[in-house]
Amino acid sequence: MALPLEGIRVCDFTWIIAGPTASRVLADFGAEVIRIEHEQAIDGVRLGRPLVGGPPTTNNSGFFNYFNRNKKSVLLNARHPNGMEVLRKLIAQCDVVVENFSSGVMASWGLDYEDLKAIKPDIIYCSISGFGHWGRDKDFVTWGPTAQALSGLTAMSGLPGLPPAGWGFSFLDHNAGYYGANAILMALHHRNNTGEGQHIDISQVASGMILSGPVVLDYTVNGRGWRREGFPPGNHAYEPNVAPHNTYQCRGEDRWVALAVTSEAEWQALVRAMDEPEWAASPDFATNADRLTHQDELDRHISAWTADFEDYELMALLQAAGVRAGVCQKPGDRRETDPQLQSRNWWSTHVHGEIGECEFDGVCPALSETPGSVRSASPMLGADTFDVMRDIVGLSDEEIAENQGLGVFM
Amino acid sequence: MTGPLADLRVIEICDAPGQWAGKLMADMGADVIKVETPAGSSARAVGPFVKDIPGPNRSLNFWYNNTNKRSVVLDWENNAEAKAALLRLIDGADLVLEDRAPGELAGFGIDLAALRAVQPDLITCSITPFGQDGPWAQYKTTDMVSLAVGGPMSMNGYSEGDAPPNTPPIHGKGDQGYNTACHFALHGILAALFHRDRTGQGQAIDCSIHEALSSTTEVGLPYWLYHKVNVIRQTGRHAAGSVTEPWYFPTKDNKGVILYGIGRDNSSWAKLVKWFQEEGFGAEFSDERFASVRDRQPGRGSPVAAEISAEVERFMAAHTAEEIYRGGQTRDQAWGVVRTPEETLADEHWHDRGFFVEVTGEGVDTPVMMPGAPYSFSATPWELRRPAPKLGEHTDEVLAEIW
Repeated sequence: MALPLEGIRVCDFTWIIAGPTASRVLADFGAEVIRIEHEQAIDGVRLGRPLVGGPPTTNNSGFFNYFNRNKKSVLLNARHPNGMEVLRKLIAQCDVVVENFSSGVMASWGLDYEDLKAIKPDIIYCSISGFGHWGRDKDFVTWGPTAQALSGLTAMSGLPGLPPAGWGFSFLDHNAGYYGANAILMALHHRNNTGEGQHIDISQVASGMILSGPVVLDYTVNGRGWRREGFPPGNHAYEPNVAPHNTYQCRGEDRWVALAVTSEAEWQALVRAMDEPEWAASPDFATNADRLTHQDELDRHISAWTADFEDYELMALLQAAGVRAGVCQKPGDRRETDPQLQSRNWWSTHVHGEIGECEFDGVCPALSETPGSVRSASPMLGADTFDVMRDIVGLSDEEIAENQGLGVFM
Repeated sequence: MTGPLADLRVIEICDAPGQWAGKLMADMGADVIKVETPAGSSARAVGPFVKDIPGPNRSLNFWYNNTNKRSVVLDWENNAEAKAALLRLIDGADLVLEDRAPGELAGFGIDLAALRAVQPDLITCSITPFGQDGPWAQYKTTDMVSLAVGGPMSMNGYSEGDAPPNTPPIHGKGDQGYNTACHFALHGILAALFHRDRTGQGQAIDCSIHEALSSTTEVGLPYWLYHKVNVIRQTGRHAAGSVTEPWYFPTKDNKGVILYGIGRDNSSWAKLVKWFQEEGFGAEFSDERFASVRDRQPGRGSPVAAEISAEVERFMAAHTAEEIYRGGQTRDQAWGVVRTPEETLADEHWHDRGFFVEVTGEGVDTPVMMPGAPYSFSATPWELRRPAPKLGEHTDEVLAEIW
């Protein structure tokens, strides 16, 4: 089947995770994504753990492979004048330029939006950085964890009286990448309608700040901040405020089921699923308000009941009864056990030049007529340099050989 | 100027899970018509509420997730005339966005596959907990349950010893499971729209919240796929294959900072040492034994790193979180302060960027601030054209447009 973004070419200056996530989405849906790489300023994720078979080689990072499937790689010395010249020729053949350097880096190369527009008038240029390309702190820098702290998301996760639990991975690297991809796609639609390109500027921190709007409004309208008694509420509900709403331990080591009751009917369903224990008939648990008042006691009762179950068994039992519940799945559970992902053909195997056979997750969402797909593993460093220079930039074999001799292509 | 999606008409039949996708399109110019039953979207019952008084038009959660939309009340589940009106609305639309259980709309006679057969350029997007098919397709969820099953939650929580024994994984708050699914739904919608721009062909989009979250766990999946290792969750920092050093430090003002790297290169280390020593800390940092970048990094078990960590802890406890954040950033440290969402309002940088916008609504006459645009478009900017609609606010207006 056709890919929806076939024919869209992306000049991809991204590195680490946020930018490569944006271009991963575009590549999954069929855009031709060309990574521009440089050996002296290599994407650190090419050296990032987990590594396959020993010390980093630039081509054996499972981490890099995950975020850079379906892409091409050009290895180019843009500090050489010829390198910059071919880079500009390549940009002229692209629809999109995307990067996630610190603000100011592209301008220092003579490649800010005005420069890019001079090369390709309808170019769509997407910049992703910690704080965006303007504003008083534009030169501050972030990684996922610091951006999460600054956005408010870290503080929203945790148990009262303890340090924040935060997010155990760079959620905002994913998230800024998702906003990058969506913004680029919106700009492509506008270009289809008008022929006009544009510059999209994304702050990673702001991409997290927009995910807590109701909490900000509670402050600006009601004067109530997030720092208060009982907050952050762990796995108890924030809003809507319902109980029970928590994780409950099952048999085995570190096995948990998340369970939430959102209506009176669901509470009755849970009580039936538990075989109508005596404690559940207590007036302490009669209404949602009562259950919230006696939440800790409620949790103790439910935990005592769940402790003897195997987690997937409990999930199936509760869901069959009409109770919202699910296993806290670890990565291995999703790959080896999860029957839903299995049944939707979520996993596929491809061959990488150095790693060999490797597995990938699928493409979400599923499109009925032009589905995205995983077509290749991540590119070896510079794997596509000569093809891109010949077929897209239009260099002759002699010009390629000459530039190779000058160290422009590596 | 108008948004990039100004030519799109979207019919949205969503409660909490899918409404964010509708908002993101409405904010970029799409005419998003939210079709609600007389009781209103269940999202209208989600707090917090204006002055804590519940009511269909007083949910701040709804206010935020439904900007720029129009609301039409149609009792389409029970009333044939109302159902005909909904079908007529879809007939004039480019996209249907819905988050009912698989098969539910068809059960009410709104069969999206059949509608696409007669309206081939229609794009439909269905957001469901687990997708349209498979053994879990009819399972129900909440934001927390999705974060649990999808995998992000297993990576968040506390290191052993930092919390009581048997502390579970902790989920991040703020409907981040639903929000993430909506980001993926939008990838599909916009890719389908691009295809339609070129071919005129519409299609059906099946967005599984579970799949969206299963692809949002960063290093978690690679560690399993390549080493068959489940990463270990750790307090306020990345889950990892092994136990790592803390990044979180409490500060003098009972807040905290995340220090992601301490003097990662010699130049930023020199700036840090100067700062510490000016303030009477780290006198020993000038010694030769601190010269190696590698030895200074935490997680390598070097005595030098442990010494640095102890001194940093003392420094943090003697300064406020904002002092450390700004002092660190101006000395090339990628450090962050752990702010609550409302504490971001005090940071002038976001006002320089026009990030916060003003809104009013039932019970709030004086404009109040809330977050605005996630991105800045130079040609087709984000725009707050209208606040979230009151229940049925646009029923007459919209029906007059179609009949």
